[in-house]
Amino acid sequence: MNQDPFKNDQFIKSKLDEYHVEIPDIPIRTKTKRWDRFISYLGSPAKNPIEPAVSTTNRLLLVKTVPLVGAAVLTLLQVLVLI
Amino acid sequence: MSNQENEWMAAFQNGDSDALEKIYLVLKGPLYSFIFRYTRDEQLSIDVVQDAFMKLQRNKHQFNPEKGRLRSYLFQIGYRIMIDKLNRRKKWQSILPFLTPLPKEELHQADRMTIREAVARLPDIHRSIILLFYYHDMTHEEISGILDIPKGTVKSRIHHAIKKLKEELGEDINESRSL
Repeated sequence: MNQDPFKNDQFIKSKLDEYHVEIPDIPIRTKTKRWDRFISYLGSPAKNPIEPAVSTTNRLLLVKTVPLVGAAVLTLLQVLVLI
Repeated sequence: MSNQENEWMAAFQNGDSDALEKIYLVLKGPLYSFIFRYTRDEQLSIDVVQDAFMKLQRNKHQFNPEKGRLRSYLFQIGYRIMIDKLNRRKKWQSILPFLTPLPKEELHQADRMTIREAVARLPDIHRSIILLFYYHDMTHEEISGILDIPKGTVKSRIHHAIKKLKEELGEDINESRSL
C-alpha cells in the first residue's frame, strides 16, 4: 500500500469508525445440522401472501363473501342438474 | 498476531485441537463483523461463521502459510460461503416470494444509521472492498485473493467506493460543516 486513500477523507474515516458491530455468542459447530436449519428457516417470519387481499375493508368483505357466493352457486347448479 | 494465528493453524494441522479453539476465539469476531456489515443479517452471519470454520476444519491441510495469512484464507472461505448463500436465497425468493423473511427494523442513533445505510447502499463489489480494506486492514493483494479479482481492480474500486460513500454521506457532511 503506497498511500492511504482515506488521507483526505477524515470525515468518512470518522463516520466509518462509528459503525460498531456487536458480536453474539457463536458456538463452534463440529457437525452440520441441516435439519435444524431447515426448521429454523420454516419458522422464520414471512410475508402474509394474502396481505394485499385483506388490507382494506372491502377486500376483506370480498374474501369472506366469495366462498359463500361460490357455495351458493355450486348448490344451485347441483339443484338445477337434479331437476 | 498473524504469525501467531499461522502458528496455531500449524499446530491444528498437526492434530492440536486446542489450537483450533484459539483460532476460533480470535477470528470469529472479525469474520462475523465483516459478514454482518455486508449482509446486515445476524442469523446468516452466524451461519457463515460456523460454516467457514467447519470448512477450515475439513480442509485444514489445504492451508499453506507461504501463500498468506490464515485470516485472509478464512475470510476467503467465509466470503464464498456468504455469496453462495445469498445467491441461493435470491433463487428461492424468486420461486417462492411469500417465504421472504421480513426485514428487521433496528433502532440506532441517527448518525450510526447514516453510516450503516450508506455502507448498505454501496454496490456489492464496492461494499466488500471497503469493509475488508478499512475494517480488517487487508492489503490489496489479500483483497484480490479473497474476492478473486485483479489487484489493479482492487485499487480502483477502493477509490470508487470512497467516492460513492462521500456521495451517500454528502448531505450529512454539508450539514455538519454548516453547523
